[in-house]
Amino acid sequence: MHEEEIIESLCNKFPFLNCRIYLQKEKRIITKPLLREEFEEVIRFAHDELGFYRASHVVGTDDGENLGLLYILSDHENILLALRESVPKTNPVIKSVSDMYLSIILHERELVDLFGVIVEGLPEGPHYPLPDGWPKGSYPMRKEWDPRYFNKDTMTYEGPQEEKQSE
Amino acid sequence: MSEKNNNNIVFPIGPQHPSLDEPSCFNITLEGEKVINAVIGVGYNHRGLEKTCESKTYIQDLYIIERVCGICSHAHSTAFCMAIEELTGVSIPKRAEYIRVIVAELERLHSHLLWLGVACHEIGFDTMFMYTWRNREKVLDILASVGGNRVNYGVNTIGGVRRDLDESINADILKTMDALEEEIKYYADVATTETTLISRLKGIGRLSHEDVIKFGAVGPVARAAGVEDDIRVTEPYGAYKEIPVHIVTDTNADVYGRTVVRIFEMQESINIIRFCINNLPDGPLTVRTPRRVPAGEVIARVEAPRGEDIHYIRSNGTDIPDRVRVRAPTEANWHGVKHMLEGGYLADVPITIAAIDPCYSCTDRATIVKSESGIRDMDWRAMRQYGIDWYKKQGIDLTVFKR
Amino acid sequence: MSLIKKAIDWGTGKSPWIIHFNAGACNGCDIETIDALTPRYDLERVGIIKQGSPRHADVLVCTGAVTLQTRERLIQIYDQMSEPKFVIAVGTCACTGGIFEDCYCVTGGVDTVVPVDVYIPGCAVRPEAIISAVDKLLENLKKGKKEGTQNA
Repeated sequence: MHEEEIIESLCNKFPFLNCRIYLQKEKRIITKPLLREEFEEVIRFAHDELGFYRASHVVGTDDGENLGLLYILSDHENILLALRESVPKTNPVIKSVSDMYLSIILHERELVDLFGVIVEGLPEGPHYPLPDGWPKGSYPMRKEWDPRYFNKDTMTYEGPQEEKQSE
Repeated sequence: MSEKNNNNIVFPIGPQHPSLDEPSCFNITLEGEKVINAVIGVGYNHRGLEKTCESKTYIQDLYIIERVCGICSHAHSTAFCMAIEELTGVSIPKRAEYIRVIVAELERLHSHLLWLGVACHEIGFDTMFMYTWRNREKVLDILASVGGNRVNYGVNTIGGVRRDLDESINADILKTMDALEEEIKYYADVATTETTLISRLKGIGRLSHEDVIKFGAVGPVARAAGVEDDIRVTEPYGAYKEIPVHIVTDTNADVYGRTVVRIFEMQESINIIRFCINNLPDGPLTVRTPRRVPAGEVIARVEAPRGEDIHYIRSNGTDIPDRVRVRAPTEANWHGVKHMLEGGYLADVPITIAAIDPCYSCTDRATIVKSESGIRDMDWRAMRQYGIDWYKKQGIDLTVFKR
Repeated sequence: MSLIKKAIDWGTGKSPWIIHFNAGACNGCDIETIDALTPRYDLERVGIIKQGSPRHADVLVCTGAVTLQTRERLIQIYDQMSEPKFVIAVGTCACTGGIFEDCYCVTGGVDTVVPVDVYIPGCAVRPEAIISAVDKLLENLKKGKKEGTQNA
């Protein structure tokens, strides 16, 4: 399927995607931030009906008040469909897509460690990639986490963030 | 995770082991000789460099990204430069594109030769290890004369390349390619006709076509199962749009298939380098790019020696990136390794893991599972020797094979 | 005792066995270290062999900026080696942390964790520099010096 056909198919099935999905260039379809429920419907449709069989990656981004999760999917023609899920930092709960994409498990674990996302349905397993003994509640890839306030010897975060939390 | 059965042994390997020289941890559960469960731990190499990239300028980040991995450094820096060039909307000169391809293929050659040596070392064929690494020196000499360094050559800059090729370097490259072609013919001969090697590698670490799709494997691991996945062909970038590239695939879908794919890919790399040298266009090497990169996001992909390498960059209009994310090919291949190990023999664990050509610094991040049942300490060297001895008992002895 | 000590010193000085540990490197220095053992540079002909177990080794060749995960493992490996033991820090990252020094998961150079005898800067280090470093180390051993660090 060509990129235009894919976009048309998605917009027909999900009217909320109109004006929120665009062709950035050849083989790159990107969406604007979707709510959790919207995202879950779209990704299942992309997997089941549109042939996006491979999830190459999920990139976590800090968008200020929200966390953005960009799932990069590809099909047999190597077209990339980048679906962006957006969840608030105060309640960053998402549903794992590992039932559809086995290879995404490690990347979802990374979101848990580095961004503090709570992934429901993620299979049991050790955390990744931060070392054992990393302080709980400390998410290094969030913008407010400042490495200058991290004490590597004691593995504690002593920054303004902590002072705010202890108030 | 592990069976509470007296017949089962779980042993942890790593993170220091003499074979792969990269820290990683494996917990393998055995029932007799068969592997029934494997847990792979990577993550010792997690340095947190993406956070550092968010506080340095793009040109400073280029040098960090280049050092994500020493073996595929040019692939990473090419993807990074391509991403920024796309965001700034510049097209780099043709000569620069060709030079990038030449260095990329030289890198593929040295990486595959390195892999071939390491894989042969894993199965006890140390003679081949020494031969391939000796031949690899020729490629490193060329890379040193092109880039100034044998490793981390630093040829790329944002907007083009920093180093040029002249007549004498071109002549050296062509001469080296002729010499290497002879060697590769020998490797291909050994791989396709030597029954000892074939019986050692065939049927090991199987990942079928369906499993490759299911686990999302990339690179030679996917191509060995017949999946035609090569970014140079499916989404050509740079000079690859003008260069004929053939995807090398095999149908064996096991370690033997991956060996064959890599050997013939080396031949393909030699063809590409010859084409580039003979058709190298004249012109400038760089084009000016703005310091401040316009706001936007981009996903860039290149074909590293190990497979598809994805870089995601988001910029906010300043000269410092907002988000940099590197998804290296080994990250995609790890998921299939557990499947490949289970059902196989302990003797095949070293070569199965080595066959995906793992690059831990690219993956950069492992999980460790401690088991409750008895633990027998066996380091990697002992396990490798175990594999070699086990196969000797079956009549497969690669140590006697000499040129 | 002194005869045994003389024998140990003679053996260590003539053919030190090395163990290699990657403490969080990009592999550049690692492949150059192994390169030093392959036919072109061939350290094995002077008696240097790469060992698998820390207990069999005299010299720890360490590459990479030490990450928080490998910190304890590096100490364990160093402790398992028997005296006399020496540490070579190969590469700029192993010397000082290099460009990864301010990364949140990096402790710094190898000398933040274990004492280092020889520093080899470079990115990546050429095998010639590694050979030169081992040579300087052996010279110091012959002269009976253990303390003091040398730049290779």
